[in-house]
Parts: sequence; structure tokens; C-alpha cells
Amino acid sequence: MSAVSMAERQYGLGTRLAALSRIVELGQARVEPALLTEAAQLLLRAGDRMKLSPDHTVVALAGGTGSGKSSLFNAVSGLELSPIGVRRPTTARTHACVWGLDGAGPLLDWLQIQWRHRFARASALDKGESRLHGLILLDLPDHDSIRALTDPEAHRLIQAADLIVWVLDPQKYADASVHRRYVTDLAGHDAVTVFVLNQCDRLAPEEEAECVADLADLLRREGVADPQVVATSATTGKGIDDLKAVLAEAVAARRAAHQRLEADLDRLMLRIAADLPEIRHVEPTVDGVRRAGLTGALCDAVGVSALGEAMENVYGVRSIDWVGWPYARWAAKLRPDPAGTLRLGGVKEEIRGLVGSTVSAQPAEVDNAVLSLANGLSADMPEVWQRGVREAARSGPGRLTEALSRELAQVAPPLDRVPAWWWLLKIWQYLLVVMSVAGLAWGGSILAFGVFKLGRPPAQLLGDVAVLPWLGLMVISVLGLGLLSGVAGRNSVLLGAGRERDRLERDMRRRVGAITKDMVIEPVEREMRRYNEFFDAMATANR
Amino acid sequence: MKSAARQTPDSSANGDGDAVPEESAIDEHSGTPESAETPAEQTIVFRAIQGDDPGPHPPDVGEPEAEAVPDGVDTETDEPAAAPEAASSEADEPEADASETDASETDASEADEPGGGDPEGDGTREDGPRETPAGRRRRELPLPEPVSAALTEALNQLRVAVKGLHFGLDVPGSDEARRAQAAVLAQLDDYVIPRVHMSTAPALIVVAGSTGAGKSTLVNTLAAQKVTATGVRRPTTATPVLACHPDDYEWYAMGDLLGGLARLDRGGTDGDATTGGATGPDGFLLVPTPRLPQDVALLDTPDIDSVVEEHHESAHRMLDVADLWMFVTTAARYADAPSWGLLRRAKERGARLVIVLSRVPAKSRDVIVKHFGRMLDEYGLGEVERFVINETVVRDGRLPEVEIAELRMWLAELSVDDQRRAAAVRATLNGVLNSFRIRLPALARHLETQVALRADLRSDVDAAYAGVLTEIDETTRNGSLLRGEVLARWQDFAGSGDLMRTLQLRRGGKSRQQGPERVPPLRSALRTALESMITSAAQRAAEDVVARWRQRAGAGDRLAATPGLGRHSEELVRRTAGAISAWQDHVTELIRTEGVTKRSVAKIISFDVESLALIFTVGLLGYGATDMTAAGAGTSSLPQRLLRGLLGAESLRGIGAKARSDLRARIGLLFDEEMLRYVDVLDNAGIPDEAAATRMYQATYNLEVAR
Repeated sequence: MSAVSMAERQYGLGTRLAALSRIVELGQARVEPALLTEAAQLLLRAGDRMKLSPDHTVVALAGGTGSGKSSLFNAVSGLELSPIGVRRPTTARTHACVWGLDGAGPLLDWLQIQWRHRFARASALDKGESRLHGLILLDLPDHDSIRALTDPEAHRLIQAADLIVWVLDPQKYADASVHRRYVTDLAGHDAVTVFVLNQCDRLAPEEEAECVADLADLLRREGVADPQVVATSATTGKGIDDLKAVLAEAVAARRAAHQRLEADLDRLMLRIAADLPEIRHVEPTVDGVRRAGLTGALCDAVGVSALGEAMENVYGVRSIDWVGWPYARWAAKLRPDPAGTLRLGGVKEEIRGLVGSTVSAQPAEVDNAVLSLANGLSADMPEVWQRGVREAARSGPGRLTEALSRELAQVAPPLDRVPAWWWLLKIWQYLLVVMSVAGLAWGGSILAFGVFKLGRPPAQLLGDVAVLPWLGLMVISVLGLGLLSGVAGRNSVLLGAGRERDRLERDMRRRVGAITKDMVIEPVEREMRRYNEFFDAMATANR
Repeated sequence: MKSAARQTPDSSANGDGDAVPEESAIDEHSGTPESAETPAEQTIVFRAIQGDDPGPHPPDVGEPEAEAVPDGVDTETDEPAAAPEAASSEADEPEADASETDASETDASEADEPGGGDPEGDGTREDGPRETPAGRRRRELPLPEPVSAALTEALNQLRVAVKGLHFGLDVPGSDEARRAQAAVLAQLDDYVIPRVHMSTAPALIVVAGSTGAGKSTLVNTLAAQKVTATGVRRPTTATPVLACHPDDYEWYAMGDLLGGLARLDRGGTDGDATTGGATGPDGFLLVPTPRLPQDVALLDTPDIDSVVEEHHESAHRMLDVADLWMFVTTAARYADAPSWGLLRRAKERGARLVIVLSRVPAKSRDVIVKHFGRMLDEYGLGEVERFVINETVVRDGRLPEVEIAELRMWLAELSVDDQRRAAAVRATLNGVLNSFRIRLPALARHLETQVALRADLRSDVDAAYAGVLTEIDETTRNGSLLRGEVLARWQDFAGSGDLMRTLQLRRGGKSRQQGPERVPPLRSALRTALESMITSAAQRAAEDVVARWRQRAGAGDRLAATPGLGRHSEELVRRTAGAISAWQDHVTELIRTEGVTKRSVAKIISFDVESLALIFTVGLLGYGATDMTAAGAGTSSLPQRLLRGLLGAESLRGIGAKARSDLRARIGLLFDEEMLRYVDVLDNAGIPDEAAATRMYQATYNLEVAR
């Protein structure tokens, strides 16, 4: 195996593991916590294993009690290292035999193998056994006796080993404890699993063939694609060489650790992806249409257009007081007033006082608007992610309402503002009124002194009849001027109000847009980016 | 076999005279085994034991010999019987019927003549004693009538109660409860009820153990013929096989024992009984084996720990029906967890247990036996009878006789000693009934947790919506609805003078019909505000319910995951719009009809009802209650004063109360429809019946009393 391809394979696994850690990060509160914990553990284990000696391959002999793991262990290592017994269960603690001790210490520490159960086999002793250099063979305790109910040692090491050799015997090869708990789970781990049918000396040759075939069938039914079954007998030594050959092949390739981690990763990704739909991508930005929709809805919640109208109308009404033709006003006052009849006194002033109040936003409508945006955006996502988007959008609902109110109160004009030119117009009107009154008085005096000859006029002008037509003309023109100026004043008020209203609405809309961008759009886009990243990481890790 | 037996009395109708030569003939026959029989001495042992068997009728002087004759006839029939099995098996059924009627006849005849049976002719006499062994067994020894009736009644009631349990919600533990319920029902049907009635029925010994322990081999050896297949493939036995004495055959074929399972026919035509095509665990194979002693039957079960889970269920079901448990384990398996699980069950049930340790290598026999013995002692099973079988070569599916000699002796003793057998059967039955004391209340308790959980889930829904309703009440009272567009429109309405235009003086018959033009926008703004408040509240309530349900582990989680529950329903918007506009119309109507204007006022002023309704609504919603108005609120707000002036304080109060309660009622209706969705989901998950638990307790109590 060239160094390049090994590094490449390592790199491939490395990127996948990095993607997995990203998934753990981004998947908080979105993926089942149990799966995330498992992923974290796998990352930990992978990290540790890849750091520890890459030259060694950890092979575990696992199986039920009485199958002959210790005998096989002794047979393969060639020495009587692990005690065999007839009492069940026998092996209580894991025994390890190492071919080639250099650098194996930390690895054995990581596997938590006790010092007195570690054995080293100096390769110099045997000539033909150098092909097993780098092998760490473990004899595990069983996993199906009553003692194993309380002792998880076998389970832990089965998760940690690189290659697992399942030791079965003709009595126990169909036990549920092996198949249900491990084989079906690890069905994707073909490359790192070997099955051994031990104690074949108890069977006649044709029975042995039948057993092996049956076991292979059973394994295939459980999803193991290409089961390797080696028939051995630890007591007679049959098949031990075959087993050693298989182990030597695995050790020489030095791929077992990676393959194991890859297989574990595959299995974990399968389970994570089971809950999620097919990987989808969403637009990470909120498009203009939606943005405009949200702004419009929020403006409605605040009542921007209503405010504009109100302002316009109220201006119009109030301006009458200021720029309307005084005579018309006084005439209107003469009309009988229902409120006065009802003795509701003071109501009118109060109504006038109404229009100076503040701008505020309706919280329920704000909530609804934000929610509908979130729902529209996340319609394709799975339920968990939809909830996340909704929470992100709502992250400042109360604050949003207050912010809107505050911001817009700055913009809204006080509706009892009186522009300066109204004063001017009022003075002008009053001036005209005074002039008309004066003219009328003059005319009256001319009439009195000149026409009716009531007495001597104090001044010549006052009794001059010839002036009368001119006077009449002047009064009429003054009145007309007054009326015109009243009308003109009204019109310009209306125009100005209309412009004011447009400007107001634009301004308010702009500010609402800015606020929503800060408080709603940004969090939502962040959430959607997170969604995209999560599924990208899933794609990488899945490969 | 019966047909063959029937032929012989004709040949030996001569009576006692032929008894002796028959015996010697039989001796010769048995000396030469035809079909792989056990050695001759076995047969002789059988006959001696059967000769001493005391029957319920007093034995006459001449009886023992006469009994020896039919027994000899019986064994004689075995040999020819071995060959034409096929013919006899088909003939078995009608023969069985005929022989039953025969038996009843003989019963009647026996009852008629309590003492000496010599009269009535030799033919019947030959028939009589020969039939009596089987007839005797079939005659029941019922319990005293009153006790039996009460017990039967209690058991039936129990059965009905157990059947009525239904575990719908997915509380943690409901799967086990369902399985336990099925197991109890099966045990009641198949074992307890039949057993209580027929206490002298043969004892059923169920042979159970791990795969590969050698159960089938053991049964074959004890039965001295191949009743079940053995092999090296694991797992081997798939269908249970019951091996019994031919006399007991009808009992097992027709009886209520194991009533829930089908009896299957033997597949092969030769002497071997194979399990035929894989027939699955819903039935069992019934094989008559003459070599077994009478009154005991062996049931070979599938294993308890192989990959095929149906085997475990079948084995446990068979064990539930057993009178005696024979547990088989091997030197390699005696520390396995599933095996000890089985032993623990035996201890809990109080069943009679026998342990067979098989496949023990000769050289380590002592060590293993001592170790196993110590383990059993520690576990509290030290007094249980144990048998040890060495590891030997299995020939033709059977072990060598020498290995199982002890076991066979024990089996024979059990068959002979009626009292011991009856004691064992009674002990097991009592153990099962005692175990009911624990298992049934556990089921009832589980049902109660289901009921409690459902009540909790329902109360979650109610609480969420009630909370939201309170919030709505508050909101509509304190003026927080008067914001945004509503406020702007109101200011528009008021400031532009439309407010004042609602009141017009009556001028001699002519009044302006046209309402002010700012009314519709204000009205629709009010409607929008109310609608959005309601939808927002419904959304909050829905999310609240889902959050609460998700906190309840198990069922709550699953139910909360139903799609669409986390939001208000789609029709809510439409319904709310309808409800609110209806309410607004109602308010207008109220003002129009009940707004009794003061007479003094009505003479002078007419007002526009629509606008007045709007003013009223604004006042109702709490205008002036917040700091919205710049001017101090004073004693009461503007709308209040206006309306009070127009309509009078009393009238105003009355209309106000009515309007508010109407609004509340409509909102309540909307929310009730929303809640229906959740209640539907709960109902679909199954409504636990509260009364079932009490029925269960009652039935258990009755059973205790009846015992």
C-alpha cells in the first residue's frame, strides 16, 4: 500500500469526520440527542485511534461462553497464555498478545488492558511468523453469560477493536445474543469481520459442511454480503493456519482501523439520515418579494397608511380654524350644536386634544406577519427545522413591537402642529375682515350722511356719495379676496398635506424595512444558512 | 392400534384359559425386537408395574390375571401396530370415537356391577377389563361441586376482565403489558381452566432449554422412538412435539388442554415422525408413543435463545401450560443469561422444576457438576432434582440407554405414583394461580397509568386554551388593542369631525341619511385587530399544547409529532372573520334595539347607529384605560361619556355586559373547535376504559375467595 493512497484514504476519512463534527455542532436541538452523543463518541474514538499506532491492528476474539475463544487464542499465539477451563464462564478479563511491541503501549492503555494480561511475542523467536507482525490479538470475555449482564467489558472492546473474529461453535452458532445484538447491527462491516466455526472436531465431515453452509446462509439472511466462515478446531489444530492467513492479510494491509471507522461512520450516518428527508437546499436569502410583503404587513400593523390619511384629514379639518374664511366659520358656529344640547360640554376640546397621541404597533398583527414569513420560507423543511426558523424569526417579537413604536414615534408629526404660514394667512384674513368692516362702516356712513342726509359728515369723504360705488366695489373685492384667499389657503393646505402624507409614509416604510431587516430577516437568514450548512455536511459525511 | 386390539378378543374369546399361553407367546415376541425396541427386560418391567396398578373398582381374585391378559394383549398389539401405522392412524379417529362410546358403555356396566365382574359373558369381560385402563382414565374425578362452580365462575370472570383490557397509548411499558396480557389469556385458556376441571388428567412435562442443548434427542430417547427430528443445524426444532402414551392420546387430541393450538398430523408414513414442512409455532405435533409410561407426556419445545424469536414465544407459551418443567442445559451453556432467565421464571411461578445437565465431558464431570450445583444453591434452587448425562455419540437421534437410566426411572415413578404426580400438578397449578396475584394487578396498574396519562394530556389541552382565553379577556379590557391602525383610524374619525357628525339634530322630519364616510375603515380596522388577536392567541395555544405534550415522555412525544398540531388550523382564519363580523353586527343590533335613548334626548337628536356602535366598541375595548391619550383620563373616557349622555348609564352598562359576554362566547366556540383536533388525536390513540381496572381487581379478589 503506497504512502500516497494511504494518506489519501486517511484524508478521505478525515474530511468525513470533520463533516461529522460540523453536523454535531449544527445539529444541536435539531437531531435526536442520543444520535448526537453517539456521533461525539465516535469522533472521540476515531481521533484517539488515528493518533495511536497506525502500525498495529487490533483483532478481538469475541463470542459466547464456551465457544473456545481462549483455546483459539492459545493456538494462534502458540503459547498457553489464556487459561482454559471447563467452568463457565471462564475468561473474566481480556488477555492481549502483541506481535511487535514497539509503540503498542499507548494503544493497549487506550484499550484499558491490564498490565498482567499483556503478553508480547518477540518475532525473532519464530521464523515464519513475521507476517503477523503488528497484530494485537485480544481474548475477550463472553457477552452472553449471566456475568456479562453486569460487566460491559466485552461490549466495549467489540466497539473499539479494528477487526472482529466471531468465534462460534456448532451448539451456539445461531444464538440470538450474537446475531441480534451484533451481527445484524454490524452487517455493513464485512471487511472487518471474520466468522470462525470452532470445535469442528466434534462434527463428522459431512455434518461440518452442513453446519458451515447453514451458518453462511444465516449470515447472508442477516445482511452480511459475503460472509467468510473458517472452520477450525482448537484442539486438533485444524484450520488454524487458515485463520492465521486471514489475520496476516489484514495486518499487512494495515487498513483495518480505517475500515472499521469508516464502517462505523456509515452506519451512524444511516441512522441520522433515516429521520431526515432527502437533502435539500434552500435559498439562504429572503427574496425581495417576501421582504416587501413583510414590510407591508408590518406597516399595516402599525397603521402607516391610516396614519397618513388621518394626518391629512386632521390637517384639513384643523386648518379651517386657521385659514378658513372667518365669516364662514362664524356662520357655522351659529348652527345648533348637538353636543351642547346634550350638555356634553368640553367634548369638543377633548376631541381636539385627541389627535396629539402617539404611534404604536399592534403586537398580534406583528406576530402573525412574522410567523407567516417564517412558515412560507420553511415550508419544505422538516418539522424540527421549521420550529427553528419560527423561533429565529420570533427572537425579538416584543422588542420588535416596541422598536417599531419607538422608531415611528420619532417620525410621526405631532398632529397639532401649526405651521407658520397659517399664522400669516390668519393675519391676512383678519386684515381683510377689518378692511371689509371698515369699508362697510364707511359705506354705512356715506349712506347715512350722503343719501339719507342724516347730518353733517365729519369728513368730506365720509359723506361723498360718488365714492359709494367705488366703496361697494372695494368691499366686494375685499370679500372676494378673502374668499379666494380662504379657498386658496384650503387648497394649499390640502396639497401640502398630501405631500406631507406621502413623505411620511415613505419615511415610515423605510424605517420599518430597516428594523425588520435587523430584527427578523437577519436571524431567519442565519437559520437558513445553518440549514444549508448542515445538509452540506451530511452530504460530505455520507459520500 | 385399537383395531388390532379389537381383533384379539375374538381370537382369545375363550377367556382365562388362554391367558397364560398368551403371556408366553408374548414373551417370545418381546424377545425378538422387530422395530428397534428397547431390550426385553423393559417390557417386562412395564407389565409388572401395570399389573400392580390399583384401579378404582375393587380387584377381584380373578382380576389380576385378567388384567394381565389385556396388558399382554396391549403389548402384543404393539408389534403388529408398529408396521401398519398408516392404516391405523387413519382408522384411529373413528376408532377413537367408537372406543369412547365403548368406554362409556363399560363405565355404565361397571357402575351397574360394583363387585365381581364375572357375569355378563366373557366377551364383554375381555372387553371390559381391557377397556378399563383407558376408561378409568377418562372418568373424571371432579372436585366437590360447589367449589368447582364458584372457581369456574371466578375464572370465567377473570378471563373476561383480562380480555377487556386495551392498552392504546404508547406509555413506556405498554408493549410488555400487551404481551403479558396475551400470555395470561393464553395460559387461562390453555391450561388453568382445563386443569381445574380435570385434575386427574395426565401430567404434562415440558422440555425446554437453549438451542443445541439436546432436548429433541432426550425426548426421542425417552420415548424410544424418533418422534422429533434432530440434527446439527441450529435451530432445529421449530414445531413443538408432544409425545404421550396411546391411551392418553385422545385426551390430548380432543381435550381442552392447549385448546388454543392446532393439532397437526404426522407427516411421515413410516415409523419416523418428522416435523413435516415448517408448520410454525401455532400448532403442535401429537405423537402417541407406547414406550412412554401412562399418565405422563413429554412436550419437546423450540429453543429459548436462538435467532428466531418465534421460537422463544412458542417455548414460553408451552411452559405456561406445563405441569412440570424439565430444563435441559449443557456443560457449555449452563452459565448463559437466557437459561438463568428461564430458571428465574420457574422460581417466580413456583412451578415444579427438574434440571437435566447434558453433554458433560466425562473427564470434567465432577468439576462442572459441583460448580453448577453451587450456582443453583446460591440462586435458591438447591433442592431441585438434577440429572446428569454424559457426552456420548448420538445414534439415530437417540442416546444410549445407560445414560438416561436414572431419568427413565424417575419418569416411571412419576407415572406410577398417582399421589406424587397429583401433588406435583397441584403445586404447579397453585403456583400459577399465586402468580396471578402479582401479574394481574400489575396489568391493572398499567391500565391505570394509561388512564392517568390520557387525563393528563387532556388537561394539558384544556389548560393551554384556558390560559389563552384569560389573556384575551385581559387584552380586550385594558385597551391594548387600540394601537396601530385602529388608533390611527380612530384619530382620523374623531379629528375630522365625523365623530360629531354622528349626532345630528332632528330638524322637523328631515335627517341626513348618509353616514359619515370614515366609518367603514374604522370598522374594518377594528375587525382586523380582533381577528389577528384571536389567530395569534390560537397559534400560541397550539404551540403551548405541543410543548407540554412533548415534555411527557413516551406517548406525549409521539402524539406531539403528529403533523399540523403545532399551529392553528387552516379554517380558523375564515371562522374568526365570520365570528367577528357577526359580533359587530350583533353590537349594532344591540344598540339599535336596546339603546333606549333618554326621552328628552330622543326628541331632539337622532344618531347614526353604525358609528355609535363603533364608538361603543372602542369604549368597550378599554379606551382611556391605558396611557394612550395625552389628556388625563379623568373619571371616564370620551366614548363612555358620550354614550352615557345619549343612552343612559344603566342602559350602557347592560349593553356593555351583553356585548362582552357575547364576544367571549364566540371566541370560546372557536377555541372549542380548535381543541377538537387534539381530542381527536387522543381518541385515535385509544381510549382506556377506566372500569376495566376495577373489574380486574374484582376478578382477582373473587378468584382468591373461590380458592
